[in-house]
Amino acid sequence: MDNEKAARNKNIKHAIMIIVLAILFVAFIFPFIMVLINVFKVKADITANPIALIGKHGFTLDNFPNAVKKMNFFKVFGNSLIITISSTVGTILLSSMTAYLIVRNNWKANKILFVLMIASMVIPFQVLMVPLVSLYGGIFGILNHRITLIFMHIGFSLSMATFMFHGSIHTNVPISLEEAATIDGCNKWQIFSQIVFPILKPTIATVAIIDAMAFWNDYLLPSLVLGRKELYTIPIATKVFYGQFSTDTGLIMAALLLAMLPILVLYIFLQRFIVEGITAGAVK
Amino acid sequence: MKTNTISYKIKQYLLFAGVSTVIFTCVVIIPFIYGLYLTMTSWDGVSRSKPFVGIDNYISAFSDSGYWVSLGRTFIYSAIAVVLVNAVAFIIAYMVTSGIKGQNFFRAGFFIPNLLGGIVLGYVWKFVFNKAFVELAGAIASGNVKSLLATENGAIAALIIVSVWQYAGYMMLIYVAGFMSVSEDVIEAAKIDGCTGTQSIIHISIPLMTASFVQCLFLTITRCFMVYDVNLSLTNGDPYGSSALAAMHVYNQAFVNKNYGTGQAEALILFVICAIVGGIQVYVGKKGEVQA
Amino acid sequence: MKKRLLSLVMIAAMSASLVACGGSDGASDGSSNGSGVSITILNSKTEIQTQFEEMAEEYEKATGVHVEVYNADTDTTVASQVATKYASNDPYTINMVDAKDVYSLADDYAYDLSNEDWASHTTAAITVNGKLAGFPVCVEARGILYNADAIKNITGKDFDPASVSTLDDFTALLEELKAGGMEAPVGLLSEYWSLGGHYFSQVYEEQPDPDAFVNSLLAGEEDLASNAKFNELMDSFDTLVKYNYARGSASNADREETSMKLAEGDIAFMFGGNWDWSVINQYDYTENLGMMPVPQNTTDGSNEKLVGGGSKFFFVDNSDSTTDEQRQAALDFLNWLVFDAEGNSFLTEDCALVPAFDNIDSSALDPLSLSVKKYADEGKLIPNYNYLPDDQMTVVGQEIMQKYLDEAMTRDEVAKAVVDYFKTATPIEH
Repeated sequence: MDNEKAARNKNIKHAIMIIVLAILFVAFIFPFIMVLINVFKVKADITANPIALIGKHGFTLDNFPNAVKKMNFFKVFGNSLIITISSTVGTILLSSMTAYLIVRNNWKANKILFVLMIASMVIPFQVLMVPLVSLYGGIFGILNHRITLIFMHIGFSLSMATFMFHGSIHTNVPISLEEAATIDGCNKWQIFSQIVFPILKPTIATVAIIDAMAFWNDYLLPSLVLGRKELYTIPIATKVFYGQFSTDTGLIMAALLLAMLPILVLYIFLQRFIVEGITAGAVK
Repeated sequence: MKTNTISYKIKQYLLFAGVSTVIFTCVVIIPFIYGLYLTMTSWDGVSRSKPFVGIDNYISAFSDSGYWVSLGRTFIYSAIAVVLVNAVAFIIAYMVTSGIKGQNFFRAGFFIPNLLGGIVLGYVWKFVFNKAFVELAGAIASGNVKSLLATENGAIAALIIVSVWQYAGYMMLIYVAGFMSVSEDVIEAAKIDGCTGTQSIIHISIPLMTASFVQCLFLTITRCFMVYDVNLSLTNGDPYGSSALAAMHVYNQAFVNKNYGTGQAEALILFVICAIVGGIQVYVGKKGEVQA
Repeated sequence: MKKRLLSLVMIAAMSASLVACGGSDGASDGSSNGSGVSITILNSKTEIQTQFEEMAEEYEKATGVHVEVYNADTDTTVASQVATKYASNDPYTINMVDAKDVYSLADDYAYDLSNEDWASHTTAAITVNGKLAGFPVCVEARGILYNADAIKNITGKDFDPASVSTLDDFTALLEELKAGGMEAPVGLLSEYWSLGGHYFSQVYEEQPDPDAFVNSLLAGEEDLASNAKFNELMDSFDTLVKYNYARGSASNADREETSMKLAEGDIAFMFGGNWDWSVINQYDYTENLGMMPVPQNTTDGSNEKLVGGGSKFFFVDNSDSTTDEQRQAALDFLNWLVFDAEGNSFLTEDCALVPAFDNIDSSALDPLSLSVKKYADEGKLIPNYNYLPDDQMTVVGQEIMQKYLDEAMTRDEVAKAVVDYFKTATPIEH
């Protein structure tokens, strides 16, 4: 009896939660629905009535080929891909190593580094913007290279990633496991790469998504570093549309959609990865 | 192997954090110090000469009433946004880890807003507030409906709504990881001891998730304090400059009004305030963690 | 699990190798044109970016000079973008900036163009400390845009702008339109640059001596509230506000929507300038559009003139980052614009700009530009005033006039707020 009642209660509770989530979900994706509706309309119709499904000029697919052509989409897509992947991989490797060192060794140098990193997370980017270009463009002349941007991306995201790995090594990696490995003759590097790193999978996935997205969407820094057209990334290219006094709204909608699709696909892929990672790593 | 000799420490440090330290120093520390120097010049951001003026810029920053007004506004905005973001994120995280059908779908869905960059997102929302909502409200209420963005409090409210929408999914992810790290056994044990669902959340999950809370609060507080791009693309200070938050004021001071030194000095004051608020919060949080 | 990790590592390795190749191709592309010279142009008239890019291709075919056109970022000022480029030692060869930027940038960065042939064909070029620094890209003017078809539909008569040069006549016409079924015949943009940079700035520009007036404002000696010009323009503004279609949420009016309403004849008047054509022509516009001065009850003749003049200026980089060859190519390009038929048609036909040079034929312009051209040819342009403090536009436009537009402020309060602002404003040296 009790079990049955509990099961029924649980079902009701789940049903309510699904309804609440569904409502919230619609609110969350409402702006995307707006993009989807308007991407198939011409500009005049968007201004006249943005919530109508079809405007008086009818349905159009022209926005897509136009946007692809004007953005030079495949070229900028390639640039964004290279930069995002390299920066993300670099950030994850470097920050997890740094975090491991900091958590397991109570040295003064580590503390100083960690405090500096935490403090740097609240530096408004505008503070660093002009000094950055003055130094690396004006003095060293190494702007307009993708590799420069990748280094800068890593530099700016290290703090936050280290912070997240710090938390998760602290709570999720049992020190007993490492002690056992030391007895078995593993050195620190082996312990980190073979034992600690795999346990960190959920955090790796989270950091990967968060950073990949930040890199993918970043506009200000790439626009400062990559001043040449052939190096443009997707956000810079998208910006070319906004740049116009009279913005071609339909075209922008298409550009937006194109710009977010790749990262959406990546997320859906990694989303499964997180769940797997969490279940696999949950054995403590 | 000796683990407390200096040479061992240096080797370990270089192995694990050497590259990080170099990149971090080059990209963040050195430009920051150079930026600090620039606050002591009366550079206009454009010309070649950068005359040294000492602390003049800090004096004008402290007497710039517009800056302090925008800072006060930022406090109010941040306080409300931080609470709402975390409340919404926590509740959603709880629901999508409770084993309901389609929870993976929802986890993915709520994260979608983060896929849009700040600039893009502001434009989309402006469109929604000014067009879609007004159109919808007009259809329901009939007559000339004023957009939320056209009123002083409304514009701030709109900024808060967009911030919640933008960050809740992100923070949800961290809370989900937190919920997942609380082992099932503990919850089961609590249930056997007679805990209800709500009780187990309050007495078991939340204390065990202190790390998640510390992280999320730190991230939301600092982000809200420094919000710029959404502010720019959503309201740009309208109406009447009443919705310009601190970072926007700083940016305008430096680049639009061409008082680069003063703008940079104001940005540093903002940085110090942020660092203090963030630091206190992390400190208090860590203490709580130890007790739990 | 293992496979996934492996594939991630593979992707990482692949992308690392791609970066290695990528880095080098980025470096060489800047000067990869072998025989030809390559120059860069910053275009801050972003509405003509497409035309500019197409022109660059044609220009390269004709001359062998590779021209790369960059679109200015509208989220920040042109001056700060130019400055950022200089800070990173990577300036554009030719920079298109606003008049006030020429004054602040010319000393350090601009090449002296005094010896160019085109200099004698224009009166709009900018000279700073004896150095001819700014090449005027076009002439632009502000005033009231009208849709004559929409007016004729109601009044039944052809619209003559000269018949409504006084505010009284203008108000009478508005009443007639209203009685004829056009509820609110006026559109006003709510953007601060329109309110502060275009409308309110007329208060300074239409003074007998704008410089003296602004200086006395800066010195805190001006009684703005009783200034005749201020009151005449504010009277006119009040009327525009009263008949504004967006009254009630005026500070949130959408530029696209306002332009569309004017284009399609839902409203008859809008305050703006000939650059608005690039927005209007996106909609189903009626044929007879034009521009006229802001109606005022005044005797100083300003209600018969538009306000404007040379707008957007090219300056050529004088730093070591630009080679002599590139500089020569830049000078050739400016000459091409003025003296070559192709260059002329690029300016007037492709970009629909009113040329600032007396040798260029401009009969093929759009209706708004034709109006401007007509006033310019008749000498009926009140010049722009280029020495307003940098934040005048945001403070007066956004914090003051936007509030006035929403009828949340009285005229006396506006006068007081403007006077207070000027007391603390930083003057522009000139």
